[in-house]
Amino acid sequence: MSDNFQIKNESVRDLLVVGKSFPMLDAYAKVKGEAKYVGDMDLPGMLHGKILRSSYPHARILDIDVSKAKALPGVKAVITYKDVPAVKYNSAERFFGQLAALPATETILAEKARYVGDRIAAVAATSEEIAEKALELISLKYEELPAVFDPEEALEEGAPAIHEGGNLAKHVEMVVGDVEEGFKKSDFVFEGKYRTQIVQHCPLETHACLASYQGGRLTVWVPTHTPFPFRFILARALLLPINKIRIISPLIGGGFGGKNEVVDEVVCAALAIKTGKPVKMVMSREEEFYCSRTRHSSVSYLKTGVKKDGTLVAREMKTILNTGAYASGGPLVLSVLGAHTFSLYRIPHIRFDGYCVYTNLPVAGAMRGYGNPQGTFPGEVQLDEIAEELGMDPVEIRIKNAVRAGDLNPLTGLPLGNVGFIECLKRGAEKIGWYRKRDEYRNKAGRFRRGIGVACGSHNTGTFPSVVPEFSSAIVSVNEDGTVNLLTGVADLGTGSSTTLAQIVAETIGVNLEDVTVVAADTDVTPIDRGVFASRGAYIGGLAAREAAVEARELLLEEASKILGADKRKLAAGQGIIFSTQDPEKKIAIADVVRSALSRKDGPRQIIGKATVHASANPYSYAAQFAELLVDSETGEIKVLKMVAAHDVGRAINPSIVEGQIEGALAMGLGYALKEELIFDDKGRPKNADFGSYELVRADEMPEIEVILIELGEPSGPYGAKGVGEIGLVPTAPAIVNAIYNATGERFREIPVTKGKMLERLRGRKKDSQIL
Amino acid sequence: MGTTKLIKFYVNGELQELYVDPAKKLLDVLRENLGLTGAKPACGTGHCGACKVIVNGTAVNSCQIPIEKVEGKKVLTIEGLSLGGDLHPIQRAFIVSGAVQCGYCTPGMIMAAKALLDRNPEPTEEEVRRAISGNLCRCTGYKKPVRAILLAASWMRDGKYE
Repeated sequence: MSDNFQIKNESVRDLLVVGKSFPMLDAYAKVKGEAKYVGDMDLPGMLHGKILRSSYPHARILDIDVSKAKALPGVKAVITYKDVPAVKYNSAERFFGQLAALPATETILAEKARYVGDRIAAVAATSEEIAEKALELISLKYEELPAVFDPEEALEEGAPAIHEGGNLAKHVEMVVGDVEEGFKKSDFVFEGKYRTQIVQHCPLETHACLASYQGGRLTVWVPTHTPFPFRFILARALLLPINKIRIISPLIGGGFGGKNEVVDEVVCAALAIKTGKPVKMVMSREEEFYCSRTRHSSVSYLKTGVKKDGTLVAREMKTILNTGAYASGGPLVLSVLGAHTFSLYRIPHIRFDGYCVYTNLPVAGAMRGYGNPQGTFPGEVQLDEIAEELGMDPVEIRIKNAVRAGDLNPLTGLPLGNVGFIECLKRGAEKIGWYRKRDEYRNKAGRFRRGIGVACGSHNTGTFPSVVPEFSSAIVSVNEDGTVNLLTGVADLGTGSSTTLAQIVAETIGVNLEDVTVVAADTDVTPIDRGVFASRGAYIGGLAAREAAVEARELLLEEASKILGADKRKLAAGQGIIFSTQDPEKKIAIADVVRSALSRKDGPRQIIGKATVHASANPYSYAAQFAELLVDSETGEIKVLKMVAAHDVGRAINPSIVEGQIEGALAMGLGYALKEELIFDDKGRPKNADFGSYELVRADEMPEIEVILIELGEPSGPYGAKGVGEIGLVPTAPAIVNAIYNATGERFREIPVTKGKMLERLRGRKKDSQIL
Repeated sequence: MGTTKLIKFYVNGELQELYVDPAKKLLDVLRENLGLTGAKPACGTGHCGACKVIVNGTAVNSCQIPIEKVEGKKVLTIEGLSLGGDLHPIQRAFIVSGAVQCGYCTPGMIMAAKALLDRNPEPTEEEVRRAISGNLCRCTGYKKPVRAILLAASWMRDGKYE
């Protein structure tokens, strides 16, 4: 491998661009309101698409009559399952041919409704109003089928079969050591049942799509973070060759995992093909809540064996995930959940037994953390219970068992990387005043109870060594004036990944950041990438960008050495100038080198580098988060006062961007812990699919938050970086729930801990004590 | 679709005279009739603030306001904030503070901040948080936006913008 795989400064000079908090490249357009999202785009002759969705959780469609809808003036097409290919696909396929791991259960439009919201028919019309009116004119005859919403009930004998072959979408077992042996060797064994709820990504921009079919080619503008998988999934579902499809992801108004699975885009494309006109579809907020994707709810049975001194010996977890009506990425979410049981502590005996189960609820899929928050919650709450029982400090028991740099991932045998987990615990504890406050808050009484808690988490960087290859590509070309274009398949979710990649390229070539332009996520233009998920964008995408930039830089230095008559190995570049490290007088502008290369007598030479990089490591990122809060024992109100998040990030290419990732994740994690839950009635209909009743955390509810970046450098990453996008909310909920215990003595094994649940618990206790 | 009516109002200092359905929402008029797409649709129920614009000095959710209610009034949108070419200090502060991520909530949040600073040039952090509590953001955790607004306030008080 090239120098990509070492943390190597350009050695002759300090880093000029990497490690600095530059503003995001697209911030200017965004603050001016001139940035164009897909919903802001129009094309001449454009139609508006709308979808008729099932109002039953489980029903066979006996008859659909669309004649009245078709007759409505302004309606250009009405389609049902009869009008589209009957191909089954999986909306979360991430590599062409990954279907062995992911069942193909979805179709463009359903013949049998499997949840409230399932797509039955679609209309394209000259206005949104006409399209909506047309939906009302479609008459449907259903045969209602028995439905099931609880995943454990769905596994019982005689449960309604949602798909052929039963309701178990995937069973996963992962084993290291021998847990039975481990429990025997333990002094104590702890057991508990833990639950997490369904939540939604709630990006401010709902799903939007603009599709156009002209000259036999389909172009789709869609805010997705997986443009290349979108291309082959659409190709598969619509029976088109891949080269007849172009996916452009112009700007993404927030994704958090929810925009990397194909949802209504396939219908929008079918309508564009049918009408020959551009069709735009934008989800309403209500649709976004239950017709796109949600986070899996979970039930976990966790058993942990420990020695008297707090040494963890064995851990066994059985988890049931509610994946909803279609498989989507559920089987992989289950595997990622299970895998993170192994990567946080040194536990010799671990067994994970996981079940991904269909129910008649909305489709659960990828969401920030991808199963990891659901699995970390039980583990980190139970560890708090263990510490309490053993009379140990929760930070100390974690330090005692934490994995360290050089440790191997017991599941894969691969190094966990340059792990900085213990540093996270120590620095975070110091910053929040852990030891002093744990003492101070003990034995509280009175109306207002203060508490402090800790929880930790780990998260993978990329998917290596997955069954499918883990790679990304990049092209870097240097222009006649010394500016640079980077072409990358890595879509910028709004996280600033394009800025991060530009910093890597600027640093590597030796130009200023403003000299780099990033063209991202256009399948006709940019080289292939698997998508932005698994905290892989800055890592794999960064490695590819760096390698392509190295190739371009080598060409530049070669040309410059000829012009300057200097040894290439003694040349370096910075701020657009190539110079000799031995004789500072010998220097030349990169622009001049490019022009010289293009006018070579023996044939012009373009300064361009291209790279496809395959991962050879999967370094895990670590975090310790601390929460301090106040519980009002009369009202049940829980006010989080302060959060400290200490994160082992390898190295921050752009510290402000990395902080932003973690700060935003803390808000999302706080909502997960205390507020958010998508609730359904007994017919599977959502009860709170709007921002009035499903409450996100607001500015005046956020506590003081402090992010500590621990930068020890990850040898396998670009300039030492590893993944940061997801881990920010992995330990947040258990940290808060552990702080609630510290404050009140009430142990919650499920989230969200709403004000109402807190009050119920405190009143219940009061009643109990009166009885006593 | 109801009958149209002539509505006269000002947008970013310019008089607009439009024949529109009087019940059509201000947000849709701005986006569809005037091509001003800076204000964003995001919830349709007035809970998220992504569509905030300033009407006669007050920040409002434009998705909730029928255009007839705007008759004769002065509307300021994000596009009107930097008309001379220079960014408004709040816009500049959002950039340098790293307060922008996906950017979808940004125009609405900047307009809420502008309305605040126009009536209270020296807000406390508490007041800033309250002023943008109607603006949902899923990306930032609000820390950097709050910092940006406080920074902009200090620049505006000092009369220097960086």
